Amino acid sequence: MSPSQTNLLQGTLDLLILKSLKTGELHGLGVSRRIDQITRGTFQVKPGSLFPALHRLEESGWLTGFWGESENNRRARFYRLTKAGERQLGHETEEWQKIAAAMTNALKAT
Amino acid sequence: MPLWSRLNSLARNLFRKPAVESELEDELQAYAAQVTDEKIAAGISPTEARRTALAELGGIEQVKQSVRDRRTGTSLELLWQDARYALRQLARNRAFTLTAVITLGLGIGATTAIFSAVYALLLRPLPYPDAGRLMYISAQTPRSRFEVLASQDFVAGQTSTKSFEQFAGYYYYYNQNLTGPGGPSRVTSVNVTANFLPMLGAVPQLGRLFAEDEDRPAGPPVIVISNHFWRSYFHADPTVLGKSITINGKSLTVIGILPPHFNFPDLTLEPDVYAAADLDRDTTIAIDKPMIGIQPIVRLRPAVSVEHAQAELQAFYLARLHKTAAELRSFFAGRKISLQPLQRHIVGDNRKPLFILLACVAAVLLIACVNVANLQLARTVSRRHETALRGALGASRLRLIRQSLVESLLLSSLAAALGLLIAFAITALVRNAAAFPTSPSSSRIAQLLQLPFGKLSASIYVDGWVLAFTIGLAILTTFLLGLAPAISGTRLDLRNALQSAASRITHAREQTLLRHGLLVVEIAIAVVLLASAGLLVRSFVNVMRYDSGFDPSDTLTGTTLLFGPRYQHPDDHGNPTPSPDLIRIFLGNLLPRLQALPGVQSAAIATALPLGEVHDTAITFGPPTPPPPAATWETAPGISVTPDYFRAVGDTIVQGRSFSGDDTAASPAVAIVNRAFAIHHFAGNALGKRFNWIVGRDQFAPLTIVGIVNDVRHNGLEQQVQPEFYIPESQSPSDTVNIALRSTADPILLANAMRKAVLAVDPQQPLFDIQTMDQRVASQVAQRRLIMLLIASFALLAVILSAVGVYGVFAYSVSQRTQEMGIRLALGASRRGLICLIVAQAARLVAAGGVLGIAGAFLLSRLLTSMLVGVKPHDAVSFSLAWILMTAVALLASTIPASAAARTDLVSVLHME
Repeated sequence: MSPSQTNLLQGTLDLLILKSLKTGELHGLGVSRRIDQITRGTFQVKPGSLFPALHRLEESGWLTGFWGESENNRRARFYRLTKAGERQLGHETEEWQKIAAAMTNALKAT
Repeated sequence: MPLWSRLNSLARNLFRKPAVESELEDELQAYAAQVTDEKIAAGISPTEARRTALAELGGIEQVKQSVRDRRTGTSLELLWQDARYALRQLARNRAFTLTAVITLGLGIGATTAIFSAVYALLLRPLPYPDAGRLMYISAQTPRSRFEVLASQDFVAGQTSTKSFEQFAGYYYYYNQNLTGPGGPSRVTSVNVTANFLPMLGAVPQLGRLFAEDEDRPAGPPVIVISNHFWRSYFHADPTVLGKSITINGKSLTVIGILPPHFNFPDLTLEPDVYAAADLDRDTTIAIDKPMIGIQPIVRLRPAVSVEHAQAELQAFYLARLHKTAAELRSFFAGRKISLQPLQRHIVGDNRKPLFILLACVAAVLLIACVNVANLQLARTVSRRHETALRGALGASRLRLIRQSLVESLLLSSLAAALGLLIAFAITALVRNAAAFPTSPSSSRIAQLLQLPFGKLSASIYVDGWVLAFTIGLAILTTFLLGLAPAISGTRLDLRNALQSAASRITHAREQTLLRHGLLVVEIAIAVVLLASAGLLVRSFVNVMRYDSGFDPSDTLTGTTLLFGPRYQHPDDHGNPTPSPDLIRIFLGNLLPRLQALPGVQSAAIATALPLGEVHDTAITFGPPTPPPPAATWETAPGISVTPDYFRAVGDTIVQGRSFSGDDTAASPAVAIVNRAFAIHHFAGNALGKRFNWIVGRDQFAPLTIVGIVNDVRHNGLEQQVQPEFYIPESQSPSDTVNIALRSTADPILLANAMRKAVLAVDPQQPLFDIQTMDQRVASQVAQRRLIMLLIASFALLAVILSAVGVYGVFAYSVSQRTQEMGIRLALGASRRGLICLIVAQAARLVAAGGVLGIAGAFLLSRLLTSMLVGVKPHDAVSFSLAWILMTAVALLASTIPASAAARTDLVSVLHME
C-alpha cells in the first residue's frame, strides 16, 4: 500500500466521490472503479472508507441513493448527484484548486 | 447548510433503525456479490471468488460498523445506550440505588427548601415597581434610641432634598378600637403620606387613593382599606365606597380598597386601614410642639447613586440641627442618618441566620455526596473486571468515563426529583402556617414555622429560580459523585486488571487513599456542624435560663386601649387628651371584676408587661423647679402598674414595699425602681431617694422611691436589662391597659371570662392579644428555637451519614480482604486482634477527621458570634462534645465490619482457592 493511498484526506474522498458521479449514476463498486480510473490508480478506495463516505454524503443531501439493476443484472444500490450535490461539487472544486495552487506555489518557493 | 436533510436522516436513523440497517446489509451483500461475479468471470472458482471478495471488503460487519459510527445521531444513540446500561446497573444494585437516591434526595430537598426561603426573603425583588430604587431612611439619635425621623425633619426633607423622586413615609399608632354592628374589635391602622401608596405601585381595586392635599392637619376624615379588611368586615360589599366606620369614636369614610396582593413593607405589620398623615407644614422643632416619629421610604432618582444621596441627606440633617430650638440641640447631638435599600431594611436581622442555615444544609448535602461517591468508588473496584473487559473490547476511555457520568447523572436526577418533592412539601407547610395566623388550634409545627419569618412566609414557594437552583445542584452532585470514580475506575492497566480480576488482590492503593480522604473530609464537616449546633443549643439554654425576673407560668394576659373621645377630655388648648379621671373610673370598675373571676389569685393592670414594649421618658435628678435644662435630662422607661402587679407577674420586691390602695391621686407621688436603676443612679442605695419625671412639655414632678424590685427584661428576652421605674396606676393612669391574671387553673380557660369582664365595664371596649405569658415567651424565642432545631437536626443527619460512610468504607475493605483475614487467622491472630486491627484503622481516619473538623470549627464559628448568648465562639465544651460524639459514633460504626472480619470462616477462605 503506497502512502498516497493511506493519506487520503477526508475532504478529498468526498470531492472524488462527487466528481465520479458527475457523469452519471453509479453503484458503490462503480464509484470505486471510477475513482481508480480518473485518478489513474493513485487512489484506490476501500469499502471501509467508501461506504461511510457515501452514506455521509447522502445524509448531507448531496447524493440520493436508489435500488437498480447492475450491468450483470444484479440488484445494487446506485447513487446520483442532487442539485445541492452539484453545487457542492463546484464549490469544493474551486476550494481545492485554490489550495492546490497555493500548495504548488509554496513548494516552489525557495 | 444541509440542515434539513440532516434532521431527516436523524429521524430516520433513530426511528426507522431496522429498515436502515437491513438496507445497509443488502447494499453490502450486493457489493460483495458484484465483486464475486467479476472474479468468477475472471475464472476463479465460485468458493474462492466469494472468499477473496469478502476479504477485500474487509469484513461486512466492520464496514457496517464504520458506516454506523459516522451516521447522524450516533452520539445520541450512544448516550441512550449508556443511559439504558446505567439504568440496568442501578436496577441490579437496588440497595445501593435506594441508599444513594434517598441520601442525596434528602440533601437536595433540604437545601432546596432553605434556598427557597433565602430566595423569597433576600433575593426575590420586593413586589413594588422598580423596587431596586426604593430606600429606607433611618435616623439614630444616641440619647433617645429613636430610629425614626422627627416629623418636622421629614417635612423639611420632602422639600429640600434633591436626590429623591419621591419622599414618602408612614407612622403607626399601635392598634385602634373599631366599634360598630359586629361588636368592638381592634384594627391595625397606619397613617401614610399621600404619595406613599402610589410610590409602592398600589392601584385601588375600587375607589381612589389619597389626593395630594389630603395629608395635612385637619384633612378630610377618609380612609383606604385593605382587601383583607374589606372581605372580613364588609364581606366584600361592592357598594362600600362612601360608607363609614368608627375608629376610636371617630367616623371615617371609605374612599378606596387596595388590591389583594398589596403587601405593606414591614414584616411584622399588615394594616387593615390606611389614614392620611396629618403632618404640620411648620418645620421648627421646639419643646412645645408635638413631634411624630416617621418611617420614611423614598425612591432614588434614576441617575443618583446611593452614596451621593446619603451625602446629601447627611448634610441636610446636620443643617437641620441648627434650626432646632437651642434647648433641644444637646438632646439631638451626635445623630446620624443613613440610607439603605428597602429590601435590606425589611429583612433586617433575618439575613444572617438564613445564610448560616443555607451553609449548614449545603454541608449536609456535601456529606451526602461524599458518601455516595465513596459507594460509587467501592463499586468501581468491584466492577474493574467488567470495565477492563469493555476496554478490551474497544470502548475508549472517554466512553467509559462518559458511561460513569451518565450513571451519576441518572442517580442525581432521581435524587433531585425526590428533593423537589420534599421541598414542595416543606414550602407548602410553611405557606400553610402563614395563611392561618397562630391560633390555639393550629398545630405546633405550624406555629414553629410561622412565627420566625412573619408574613413573608407566605411568599416562600418553589418557583423557576428555585427549580433552576435544584437543577444546578443535581448537575453539581453529578460531578461530585461521578468524576472521581470515573477517572479512577478507568485509569487501569487492562492486562493487569484482567489477570488479577480472578484473584482478589488488595485494591489499588491510590483508590484507597481517595476513599479514606473523602471519609476524613466527611467526618470533619460533621464535626463542624456538631460544634455549631452545640454552640446554638448552649445559647438557647442560656436565653431560657436568663434570669427573667418574673414567673411566666399560670398567667393570662390581654390588652385593651382606652382610645377615643369616651376616655378623653379637652386639654388647656381645647385639644382632646386622655382623661385621668375617666380612665380611673374604668380601671376602678374593671379590677374588682377581674379579681373576682374564679381561679384568679391576683389580677393587675399595667402599661407594659414583662418582655413587652416600653418607651423612654425623661427623668432628672435634683430640684424639679425651675424646669431643668434639656442638657441634664436622662431617660428611663416608666411603667404604671396597679398594686398587685408584682405578685401577678411573679416579680419580687427586694427592698421596701409594693404599691397599695393607699397610694392614690391625692397621696404623695411614689415610685418603685428596678435594681439596675438603683445601682446605676444611686449606687444601690435608692430607698427613700427622689428623682423627677416629665409630666408636661418641660414640666417635671418629683417621685419618692419606696421599693426596689428584681430586674425584668422588656422589649424582648434578649435585650439587656436597663434602669426602669414603676409608678402607681392611680397616680398616673394610662390609656394603655395590659391585664395580667395569675390563676390557679389553666390560665387559657380564663380567656372568655376576662373578655366578658371588660365588656361588662364598657361594651364598646375590645380586648385583644389574649395570650398566656408562656406563649409570649415562646414567641420571643421562636426564631432562635427554629434555627437551633434545624441546625441540630442537620448536625445529627451529618453524624448519621458519616457513620454510614465509615461503615460503608470498612465493610467494603473487609469484604475485599477476606483472604488476608483468613491468612492472619491461620497464622495465629486472635479474632479479637482482627477487630482491633480494623477499628484501629478506622480510628486513625476518625482522628484525622476530628482534628480537621475542630480546626474548621475554630475558624468558622466566629460567623455565629451574633447568634450566641453566654458562650464564646470557641467554646471548649461544645467543641469537645462534638468531637467526642462524632468519634464515638464513627468507631461504633466501624465495629460492625470489624466483627464481620473477625467472623471470617477459615475453612471456607482456604477452600476458595
